[in-house]
Amino acid sequence: MEDFSYQKPKSLKDAVDAFGASDDGLFLAGGQTVIPVMKLGLAAPADVIDLSGIPDLGAITVSDTTVSIGAMATHAAVGASEDIRQAIPALADLAAGIGDPQVRARGTLGGSIANNDPAADYPAAMLALNATITTDKRDITADDFFTGMFETALEEGEIITRVDIPVVDAAAYAKFANPASRFALAGVFVAQMNDESGGEVRVAVTGAGPGVFRAEQMEAVLSNDFSAAALEGVSVAADDFNSDIHASAEYRAHLIGVLAKRAVLTMTGAANGKGGGQ
Amino acid sequence: MTDVSIGQAVRRTEDERFLTGRGTYIDDINMDGQARAAVLRSPHAHARIKAIDTTEAEALDGVLLIITGQQWVAEGMGTLPTKTAVRKGRNDMDLMEPPRHCMAVDTARYLGEPVAFVVAETQDAANQALDLIEVDYEPLEAVIDPIKALAPDAPQIWDDIPGNLSIDFELGDKEGTDKAFEDADHVVTLDLINNRVTAVPIEPRGCVGSYDAATDTYTLFNSTQNVHANRDMFAENVLGIDKNTLHHIAPDVGGGFGVKNGAYPEPPMVLYAAKKLGRPVKWINTRSDSFLSDTHGRGQTSRVQLALNSDGTFLGLRTSTVGGIGAYCWTVGPFTPTGGSARTQGGPYAFPAMHYRGRAVFINTAPMDPYRGAGRPEATFQTERIIEYAARKLGLDPVEIRRKNLMPPDSLPYKSPMGMDIDCGDFPHLFERTLEMAGPDSLKAQAEKAKQAGRLFGFAIAPYLECTGGGPKEYAGVTFNPDGTVGLAVGSHSTGMGHETALPQLLAAQLGIDFESIQFTQADTAATPLGGGHGGSRGMEVGGNAVAQAAGEIIEKAVPLAAHLLQSDAAKVTFENGTFSDATSGASVSMNEVIESAEPGALDTGSTFERGVISIPNGCHAATVEVDPDTGAVELTGYWVMDDFGTIINPLLADGQVMGGIAQGIGQALTENIVYDDSGQLITGSLMDYGLPRADVIPNMEIGYYEGAPTAKNPLGVKGAGEAGCVGSLPAVVNAVLDALKDHGVVHMEMPLTPEKVWRAIQDKGAHDPEGYMGDVN
Repeated sequence: MEDFSYQKPKSLKDAVDAFGASDDGLFLAGGQTVIPVMKLGLAAPADVIDLSGIPDLGAITVSDTTVSIGAMATHAAVGASEDIRQAIPALADLAAGIGDPQVRARGTLGGSIANNDPAADYPAAMLALNATITTDKRDITADDFFTGMFETALEEGEIITRVDIPVVDAAAYAKFANPASRFALAGVFVAQMNDESGGEVRVAVTGAGPGVFRAEQMEAVLSNDFSAAALEGVSVAADDFNSDIHASAEYRAHLIGVLAKRAVLTMTGAANGKGGGQ
Repeated sequence: MTDVSIGQAVRRTEDERFLTGRGTYIDDINMDGQARAAVLRSPHAHARIKAIDTTEAEALDGVLLIITGQQWVAEGMGTLPTKTAVRKGRNDMDLMEPPRHCMAVDTARYLGEPVAFVVAETQDAANQALDLIEVDYEPLEAVIDPIKALAPDAPQIWDDIPGNLSIDFELGDKEGTDKAFEDADHVVTLDLINNRVTAVPIEPRGCVGSYDAATDTYTLFNSTQNVHANRDMFAENVLGIDKNTLHHIAPDVGGGFGVKNGAYPEPPMVLYAAKKLGRPVKWINTRSDSFLSDTHGRGQTSRVQLALNSDGTFLGLRTSTVGGIGAYCWTVGPFTPTGGSARTQGGPYAFPAMHYRGRAVFINTAPMDPYRGAGRPEATFQTERIIEYAARKLGLDPVEIRRKNLMPPDSLPYKSPMGMDIDCGDFPHLFERTLEMAGPDSLKAQAEKAKQAGRLFGFAIAPYLECTGGGPKEYAGVTFNPDGTVGLAVGSHSTGMGHETALPQLLAAQLGIDFESIQFTQADTAATPLGGGHGGSRGMEVGGNAVAQAAGEIIEKAVPLAAHLLQSDAAKVTFENGTFSDATSGASVSMNEVIESAEPGALDTGSTFERGVISIPNGCHAATVEVDPDTGAVELTGYWVMDDFGTIINPLLADGQVMGGIAQGIGQALTENIVYDDSGQLITGSLMDYGLPRADVIPNMEIGYYEGAPTAKNPLGVKGAGEAGCVGSLPAVVNAVLDALKDHGVVHMEMPLTPEKVWRAIQDKGAHDPEGYMGDVN
């Protein structure tokens, strides 16, 4: 690891200023990507600006209509939040299934979506749940936020402060883990928005392509007939999917079909109508 | 006083130290003035080194020493020899052994081969210096697949070793086997691959070396499994010094599994630098570099053929295998695909004729050396896979065909066509007992339940027969200290197996002394004059017998002392359960009292045990799986084992060995795989891609021991327990998955059985080429 300067600002403004004052700054949230990447020498920032000293950036508040999660909330905190579990159990389950206990204790929602790893779990939830990502500058819808492999709409020096997620009628996340890394080989998040939010069905897929995306044909089919049977024969084009030693593009495309059905089955079969599970 | 006995599940003495973070691993050792080392490794699998410029790196602040391969040779450093026992091949062919220097000299022959060695004030400085060394490489064509390496137009890794062939070996009765195949009703042929894997011990390799100019001696703390043999090679072969001037110590070693048996290049480079700089030098491998530079295991492509009659009686077994050993012979690299895999071909079955051909082939990969089982897992896999395949092909019951061909106990002792002295055991009993443990009724219920849930249920049973190995000699030294403690030093080596408990347990049980008074030392060349270290499941078989032999000698020395105390005649004194007694007088005295009364040193004993003939551990594994047909995911749902390790010293430790071995077998069968691309770049260079099994994929195991046939080959009657778990688990897991897929026509798949492979096999309805690999080279 190369030498770097470390700062831990106590306010959002100080963090923004510190970044502006640096030629080569990097924000540090939970460090679950930044630290390994620095250790491998793949990133060598001059200034590391740790966001963990900013008060209230990890707050979780849940109302009847909105789950609001601070950017610095850890996966463990989201997974353990009873309020989130009541409102959107699938989201709590997803957080509780990321990585391992050590990763969940350090990794943050903001860090995960800012990194936008193509196999990360959170981007699928954000996109399917039609979340709004709030930064120090503006609000960005999830549809606009995730722009490609490790790419987001964030501008240089922009800091995610929180994410607002509308409470939905039902949601479920089905994930098939890479046997080695346990990242998603494919993960499908299905959400049924409530009437106030438009009532649409949103299906987001992670792990398979260069970045998280919405499976629009599945959404169309499910909007018409919300059942696992309706998904029979609905395929997802594998054209730009990842192929590696763990899974071919074709297999990933097949998994998306299986996982989408399983997510829908979870939602239609769940007694409380809220769904959940992995 | 804590009394212990042989066969007692004594809890591990070392656990408190390990579990509370008080173990001493290499990185816990820091010496005054210590410098740090780093290794520049080849980024190419095969490349000529045209020039190396270290000017810029040497100018870096804190850099103390940089040495390249050419400079290393110019310093007069020698090569590391192979110790493979197989040195003669077919047609009187001699083993071909290329020179192995600690660094590439003119040509790098595998990704990760050391090219330069750097020592600096700090690790950061050493690492930065690596980036500043400029190497002018001329990349050469690489060959990774051992079958392709045998092709006439393959890239040649060594100019003077034509065809990349280290040795072409055979064993068994070729004519008899050919005849059996001619006469058989059926001949079944299957090409298969035993995938390349690596051990990934939790503590990476590393060492700290120092040199004392006043006495001209070296000290090396090293994460190794074999201090004596490696000391000899580092000292005599590389550094050219008297081996007695190198004190070699392995403190707590965080796992080895064979991967730390061999002689690696970094420790002698550390010792060289320590002398050159006049200060201690530490080197710790990174996890990334461990994937590049630790030895690999398995990695064989084979054709296996079974000759049998219509009623399922086995007539002959023929195996031809090609093992890719890397670019060097390493420490015992050529042995595994030759003698190592030949010996236990055919398992516990009665095969009238067997023939084995094994070729060790040079390829541009990391080296091959022992990995838990070193040939026996390969042999069992070859044997059990062809049996299962034949049963499926011919419509025979896989359980029945095995039952029918097991050697009956009254056929023992038996000298197998592969030269094994199979002295004792009851293979049918272990087979039936394993089936009983799995519970035929329960299996049916599980199958039905899985079916209801839309899942595929599979069951397989896999008898195994293996053998011990490793150094045949072992030393145990016992000293009785004035403070009442007893020192026990042995040359066998635990890297986590629990010898610190089992060997004191043996000594305490045999002498009737306090278990807790025994202070255990291992893996220290100053503590024992010789030592065979780790390997070949030899811990109890050779190390345990050395301790038992020493105990016997101590008792002999104690008898006259006891007679004196009893005012009796030595001839009348008997020893039992820690007590010397004279039956005529009825007087008795304890071993502890004799020890207390003895002159200092009078009872101290050093004893060397030498094994005559290797032992034959055997047993039977069974597994159940459920397969999700939609995704291909495999879940292990049950596991049963019966083992015949002869006498069990400590069943708790034996369980640990069995479970750990099975876990490693499950890893290889389901997720682990070393993958290089065609150019020799490593695809599985981290734990993100190399699929180590995790606790949640390991099923509960029911383990039983058969102690009805202790071997007479050694006084304790032990047969060796360390590797058996790995030997039986590969076919148990793979055949159980194939059983689950039988209704889909799937009769063969290669490890690891990843979800996609299983799913694809279902889609392809089992389509495969039974002669898909060996073709021209068979």
